[in-house]
Amino acid sequence: MPGEELRVGTGVGPYRLALRRLRRNVAALVAAVVFVGIVACCLCAPLYAHYVAHTGPLDNHETERVKVGGHIRDVVSLIGIPIGPTWHSHFLLGADFNGRDVAVRLLYGGRNSLIVGFSATAITMFAAVLIALFAGYYRGWIDSVLARMLDVIWAYPAILLGVAIGTSLSLGGISLGPLKISGDSLYIPALIIGFVNIPYVAKPIRGQVIALREKEFVDAARTLDAGGLRIMMTEILPNLSSTIVVLVPLMVANSILLEAGLSYLGAGVQPPNPSWGTMISDGVRLITTSPFLVLVPGVALVLTVLSINILGEAVRDALDPRAVTRTRR
Amino acid sequence: MTRFIVRRMAQTVIVLVLISIFTFLIFQVIPNGDPAARLAGRTASPDQIRAIARSWGFDQPIYVQYLRTMQKIFSGSVVSYSQQINVVDQIRRGLPATVSLAVGAGVIWLLFGIVVGLLSALRPGRVLDRVLGFLALTAISTPAFVLGAVLLYVFAYRTSILPTGEYVPLTDDPWQWFRHLVLPWISLSLAFIGFYSRVLRGNVLDAKHEEYVRMARAKGLSGRRVMVRHVLRNSLIPIVSLWGLDFAGVIGGGAILIESIFDLRGVGQYAAESISTLDVPPIMVIVMYTGVLVVVVAALVDILYAYLDPRISLNT
Amino acid sequence: MKRTNPDRRHWTAAAAVLLLVVAVLTAAAVSARAASNHRSAGTSVTVDTSSPPNSIDPQSGYTVSAGETDWLVYTPLLTYAHESGVAGTKLIPGLATALPTVTNRGKTYTLKLRAGLKYSDGTPVLASDVKFAIQRAIKVNWGASSFLMPIAGAQAYLNGTASTISGITTNDATRTVTFNLTTAVGDFANVLAFPATSPVPQSTPMTVQTTQMPPGVGPYMFQNVVPNQSYEITKNPIFASFHIPGIPLGNIDTIKTVIVSNNTTEAEDVLANRVDAFDVGDAVPPALLGQIQSQAKGRFAKETVASTNYFFLNERLPPFNNILARQAAAYAIDRGALARLAGGFVAPSCYFIPVGIVGHPNAKCPYASPNIAKARALLKKAHLVGAKVSVYAMAKSPRQEEGQYYASALKQAGFNPQLKLIDPAIYWTTIGNAKTRAQTGMGGQFLDFPAPDDFLLLIDARNIHPVKSNNFGNVDDPWIQKRLIQLEAVPATKLQSIASQWAAVDEYQARKAYTIVWGSSQLVKFFSNRIDFSSAVFHPLFFDDYSTWKLTK
Repeated sequence: MPGEELRVGTGVGPYRLALRRLRRNVAALVAAVVFVGIVACCLCAPLYAHYVAHTGPLDNHETERVKVGGHIRDVVSLIGIPIGPTWHSHFLLGADFNGRDVAVRLLYGGRNSLIVGFSATAITMFAAVLIALFAGYYRGWIDSVLARMLDVIWAYPAILLGVAIGTSLSLGGISLGPLKISGDSLYIPALIIGFVNIPYVAKPIRGQVIALREKEFVDAARTLDAGGLRIMMTEILPNLSSTIVVLVPLMVANSILLEAGLSYLGAGVQPPNPSWGTMISDGVRLITTSPFLVLVPGVALVLTVLSINILGEAVRDALDPRAVTRTRR
Repeated sequence: MTRFIVRRMAQTVIVLVLISIFTFLIFQVIPNGDPAARLAGRTASPDQIRAIARSWGFDQPIYVQYLRTMQKIFSGSVVSYSQQINVVDQIRRGLPATVSLAVGAGVIWLLFGIVVGLLSALRPGRVLDRVLGFLALTAISTPAFVLGAVLLYVFAYRTSILPTGEYVPLTDDPWQWFRHLVLPWISLSLAFIGFYSRVLRGNVLDAKHEEYVRMARAKGLSGRRVMVRHVLRNSLIPIVSLWGLDFAGVIGGGAILIESIFDLRGVGQYAAESISTLDVPPIMVIVMYTGVLVVVVAALVDILYAYLDPRISLNT
Repeated sequence: MKRTNPDRRHWTAAAAVLLLVVAVLTAAAVSARAASNHRSAGTSVTVDTSSPPNSIDPQSGYTVSAGETDWLVYTPLLTYAHESGVAGTKLIPGLATALPTVTNRGKTYTLKLRAGLKYSDGTPVLASDVKFAIQRAIKVNWGASSFLMPIAGAQAYLNGTASTISGITTNDATRTVTFNLTTAVGDFANVLAFPATSPVPQSTPMTVQTTQMPPGVGPYMFQNVVPNQSYEITKNPIFASFHIPGIPLGNIDTIKTVIVSNNTTEAEDVLANRVDAFDVGDAVPPALLGQIQSQAKGRFAKETVASTNYFFLNERLPPFNNILARQAAAYAIDRGALARLAGGFVAPSCYFIPVGIVGHPNAKCPYASPNIAKARALLKKAHLVGAKVSVYAMAKSPRQEEGQYYASALKQAGFNPQLKLIDPAIYWTTIGNAKTRAQTGMGGQFLDFPAPDDFLLLIDARNIHPVKSNNFGNVDDPWIQKRLIQLEAVPATKLQSIASQWAAVDEYQARKAYTIVWGSSQLVKFFSNRIDFSSAVFHPLFFDDYSTWKLTK
């Protein structure tokens, strides 16, 4: 949580300052630990699956039985109700409707959700910064065209656009010449989410580029006959860095949430691949007898996004306690 | 000023045209989206399918199809592929549920967002601020559909305090209308409350530092009056404009997830169903009307800002 | 700094805009109520459904739920006895005076309409209305219009080269209708029992009706149709005057069907007696089953229905053009797992012709599954380990769960499956389109009429079409074709005598693993305590027979 403004002497760079502020922020440190912990667990998914649970995320044990506390029970009952958390190595957090191990799927699903979230953010930042730079620096008709395109994407409620593109791409995948991505690849939701979020980053950055353009050092560079591209890269881009750094955690959180929503509606990660969104979607059907199927991925999702959000707020307050950047959801 | 308005309106129209083209194209990429085959029912000969294609115009080049669809949209006579019902009628039937959801949630999140934001900003850094801040961040981090599912479980399945879903029109039974909307309202507004309270808190703290506040203090006005007049007003304006845009988004189908979980059969759910059945006409209409709402509101907001603060460059 | 005057102005401006927006929208909301809300007097019940009919227009509806309502509003020339079980598969005269006279070696059917018949709006029924209705069915692309193609001239009418169907002749004065077929079709009498062939006034438009249904001759008639939301049927006051034997007049005045999306809400509402019936086509959420069975004893029952759930295997594409791969898939599945996923509402089986239909084989199943080891061995022998397979399933519970299970079973056998979930509304057209190149997926068939060829038509090579195919696996076996043509010509009355020959065809296709049948669906009869449970008929074809319902006292 943001504290009072720090009085510092001259001669310390903004990033060193920020780091100092960050280190004093207890909540941010806790959040960082939690987040790193979650990521580490998810990356260790194959280890857990192999050594502890002895099953993979896609292996079904529909008609098998397991020994729990001395009794032998069906993994999935005759009417389709799966077993709850056993708190043992097999089915630690229970099984889903297909007899698959929830704990294993949680970790693999987390891996998928995080991969999609981070890749989508990378795509968004890369594309948005490029678009914002070109639009903001060159102005004129380039700006008109690019700004209008941004408006088009932005006018759709993100989830509606995501579902529309997601549905159409999940059926057929993408095949543009040499680029072939199959319908159930993780890159499809990553591309969609990355694309949908572009305006939320491009618009504020474009505004900043326009403002920076008028500054003296840009004029100075221009008088020295430096080319447009060079000016963009050497003068403007570095000044955008703090805005970009602040936007990244926001976008990661947004992307993970959007992925969950899309997967819930069937337009994101495709079954049987696990992701926290698909797990929640599967679990809602059985919520009356097996609420853990929704609660387990739900809590994981909230914890992850919360820790990113806390970190993001802390970073923003550390870099500039009076940051003007406010992005829409 | 008028030049600005005219230019903004022209841009709005261009954006709307682009939106319609973009939507139309998305659904042309689908491999199995042959609408004539779908319209033809379970068994059909190639001749039958060709006949349908001819009567609906699917054999024409894409731009002709697009123009015909747009023409149908503007004359209000668009018919859906799957059930051959008039799309505009169908949307009108779903509007009461979506509007009730959006208006109710919108009022709730605006009110509570402001209240929580102000409470936090009163004494920044203190216990109340930190607790509210943490809760706000948790609310932002909880996806609405997860919240909805959990609320349903606790209040509707485990106990029977509230109904499990569906929409009862206000004119049929006001009490039931309310009971059926309580959980959807809460699910939808919580994240917005969290977000708005953070934004408002930030705005208030920023405004507190503004030069003119110190100047006004120097002029001898009492502290409280300063707070209310200068700070509040300048913090709330951005909130209201943000609210306008979010509200437009929700009405236009942004509440897809909530409507689906609670089976409210509003516009958002209709959009979701149309998308999964690759039914292009309803998607086009809904997207157009969302686009209109959002883009028009955005333009209005811009014009309002330009009117209020001539310092904003009219060239942006 | 001009901040004093604009202060109040922009507050009011912002507030005004907000209020205006809210006011306009609320006005729109309130004014956009449901179309008509006139309530009818008398007794009424409500049925919820999450699998609504594709259409309730009689010449367009072909799904199970369409028939459930349409057969009570649009009595066809022939109809079925309103009884449960096998008795309900008996054909009785509807609007016709008697069962048809079949002459010309099974190619000519003659019927006569009863005298004095009138539609629910009072218009007299003409014999030529029957011909009009059948032409309309073809024109509006009735989903089962392939059943009408044996009528001479129907194909030409479909292609647009003829303006009427030459094979149907009618005489309004003598009220006779004559059908001439191009080939003898044993089941043609059953075709005349589809509500789609029921007469409608010739003023009915040749487009699918969505709000104003044509009038019919039946115990009930439509009112208050709100597309995608609800529709009602109410007693037809003039039907009783026709004294048609075998068709109940109905005890309940109005039956309203409401469309919902959530099966759990639907089940809870019926359990709590807020809604009177749970649609047969919907799956009871397994999570509620225990509760329902204990709380709703006496108003909940599982009904076995003649239906086949199977996986089709596309024989025109690798890997399933290789019989070893097909056998591997057959060995890989565990019918017990699939039964669990359907909440226990499936009776496992392995033959295409289901229990209860003449021709159901009694022989042992050719592939005793599950046997993953055998499956893997077969795949290895065929050098097809790791073969990519697209698996299609409906994006609706429990079908999508079953699809996920099937994909994981194929994976265990050594295939490389790619699951594709498709919305139910476009599922059949997607897998029926050759361009989709669906390699395997879920198929299902509920009986249209109680005869074996209603099921085996799904492996009939004549039903392979580039678009709208019904033979999803592209099964094209000359031995099967020869048998089918022979057996189909035998009239319905002699069906029992060739039962073993039908069974032989089914056993042959099972051995060749052209399809993998895994079970027969069981449906639910689940009512509130307002409806008398034991006297309500569960019809083998049309399931919940509303005309036999009565309220408990």
